Amino acid sequence: MSRKKRYKVIIGSVCLFLLVLAGTSLAARKVINVWHTETNPLSRKAIANIVERFEKLHPDIKVEAEALAWGDLEGKIMAALAAGSPPELSHGQPITCAALQAKGLLLPLDDVVKHIGEDNIWDQIKKVGKYGDHYFGLVHAAGTSLLIYRKDLAKKKGLKNPKTWKDLLHNAKELTLDTNKDRKTDIYGVTIPGDNLFINILLGELTKANGGILFDDQNRPQFTSKCMIEILEFLKELTEYMPPGWEGHGYRETFANMYGAKASMMYQGYGRGASLIEEYAPKHMANTDYFDVWVKPHGPSGTKPAAQVDEEPWMLFKGCKHPQEAIEFLKFFYQDDNYLEYIQTVPIHFFPVTKSLRRSKAYQDTPMIKRWKGWLDVQEYYLDNDLVKPTLVIDWKDMETKPYLMEILGSGILKDMVMEVTKENVPPRKATEKAQKRAEELVKDKGYAKW
Amino acid sequence: VKVSSQKTGIILIAPSVFLICALLVYPVLYGVWLSFFKKHSFFPEQRFVGLANYLYLLRDSEFWMSLWYGTYYSVSTIVLQIVIGVIAALILNEAFRGRNFVRGVVLFPYMIPTVVAIILWKWLLNDQFGLINYLLLAVGIIEDPLSWMGKDHIMTSLIIISVWEFTKFDTVWLLTQGGGAEKYIRTLPVFAYMRTFMYYQAGLGSTLAVIMFGILIASTTVYFKMFRREEGI
Repeated sequence: MSRKKRYKVIIGSVCLFLLVLAGTSLAARKVINVWHTETNPLSRKAIANIVERFEKLHPDIKVEAEALAWGDLEGKIMAALAAGSPPELSHGQPITCAALQAKGLLLPLDDVVKHIGEDNIWDQIKKVGKYGDHYFGLVHAAGTSLLIYRKDLAKKKGLKNPKTWKDLLHNAKELTLDTNKDRKTDIYGVTIPGDNLFINILLGELTKANGGILFDDQNRPQFTSKCMIEILEFLKELTEYMPPGWEGHGYRETFANMYGAKASMMYQGYGRGASLIEEYAPKHMANTDYFDVWVKPHGPSGTKPAAQVDEEPWMLFKGCKHPQEAIEFLKFFYQDDNYLEYIQTVPIHFFPVTKSLRRSKAYQDTPMIKRWKGWLDVQEYYLDNDLVKPTLVIDWKDMETKPYLMEILGSGILKDMVMEVTKENVPPRKATEKAQKRAEELVKDKGYAKW
Repeated sequence: VKVSSQKTGIILIAPSVFLICALLVYPVLYGVWLSFFKKHSFFPEQRFVGLANYLYLLRDSEFWMSLWYGTYYSVSTIVLQIVIGVIAALILNEAFRGRNFVRGVVLFPYMIPTVVAIILWKWLLNDQFGLINYLLLAVGIIEDPLSWMGKDHIMTSLIIISVWEFTKFDTVWLLTQGGGAEKYIRTLPVFAYMRTFMYYQAGLGSTLAVIMFGILIASTTVYFKMFRREEGI
């Protein structure tokens, strides 16, 4: 063999050896795929840190954590399930969890709950993922929607926490301001995001706050009810005090109206917004003397306030490769030290699901929590009094009995109805009839109609 | 070994034929087949429904509205792209100082990813803080800020951005993600996407795709006939 040939053989053998070695090492490690929706850099970093510590403890397990935008998640989960290669764990909306467990596509997380201690989890949280005697979802953190308002402006006008929608309309009118007396509005009374998700969240909340339901026990939509007509009439009036073009604003643009001093109230705000205020509002205004929260009002046919709770559960998928390892990872994730690091990345929106962490000094001493305590108090009030439900869920039993809510949300039927009334001057009765027809068709199409 | 030129030709075009069949012919035929079924987008639940999907769409006001929005949008963008394109080409053909720089700038929209362009445009067109409204107000063209992303102007915004960007579906979709009066620019491709991936009705989504395919074939046929007639003259 010539010298050149010999070199080639040696180099080739070394490469082959390295390839086999790398392959063996990868094959020896069990890879668990984790999809989550916390795309902000701080939360991603916290998850990466938790993963790193977990992998050190479990050298045979590799965690592939991937942050996905909300818009991509549902489709990706469905496609992965259809292809027979789901991830081990993923976040999802509570109604997605409801739909998937109804199809028998999830595995229970009872071991994780047992490890955390069932009594250590807030009762409200347990309702999100418990079906029968098993937990098919476990919330990663809870945050409720908030009615954010400009405290300084409300104080000047002597306005109080609105108890009813009528009070809210009054406040909105009073807080619609022409500050430079040029007969043009500079600060609008109220603002809401106009996109599909937030309109669905809003409609669910308002239905609860007005003592109504969206679907009856036979799964028939109740969109033509007196409750819904009242909601649409209220929204029609409320939009008179909103910035023109509100329907084109996403969440961030809507929040920009708040911290940019273009709106006095935001009906669909979240605790995450406190970070936006700290970052973008004028420094002297970035505090609760200027931006505070009110408890939401109720409608003419309702008696209690209602809000939506943003509490995506972790789901463990049937057919994934390493379910047991995924359970171990979740147990590790909820350990107080790891969980605290995660919670502190968005402290005003991530309410810990464990009582032990919420009561811990380390959590209470988080600087941002001290600065925005009032925002958390309102969320705690909602959670402890069961005044919050996930998107489109009116009653907890809806989680088990109405697995088509995910499709209702995606269809845009409710958003179209709101737009017709508020932007196209369609009478509420007519808009509800159209929405009713569309929703009935959808429920029938999915095979859930019992009427 | 000598291979005949005929065989060589077949061997050379075989990969292309395979790719065309796999990536174009098969999906189109599968789409047509699927349009006769009621099928979940991801799960293997399907039932033959014959022409029911087509009949449903004929009665569906949302479909006709989407068809109208799509037609309005397509005609506007095509006309504007041709007119502005020709004017720009004529100007850039003239000799003037800085011509090379301007020629480079003209290519700018092609270099920016659509997602980035849409984010920029959305903030430029923001009714409360956007630069466009600020400039229009400053020079006195408008008295009050225009709601570019609102019901009345979102189609205009979409056409402006599309003409600038030279793209279609992704512009429409991205413009309405995370806020937007999507209902007022719900063109047929968006409607088909929604039916397939948000209602999970793959059969109906395929029916819409087949209808779009039919419209495309019809308009292409008309275009070629007109083009040939002009050639004949």
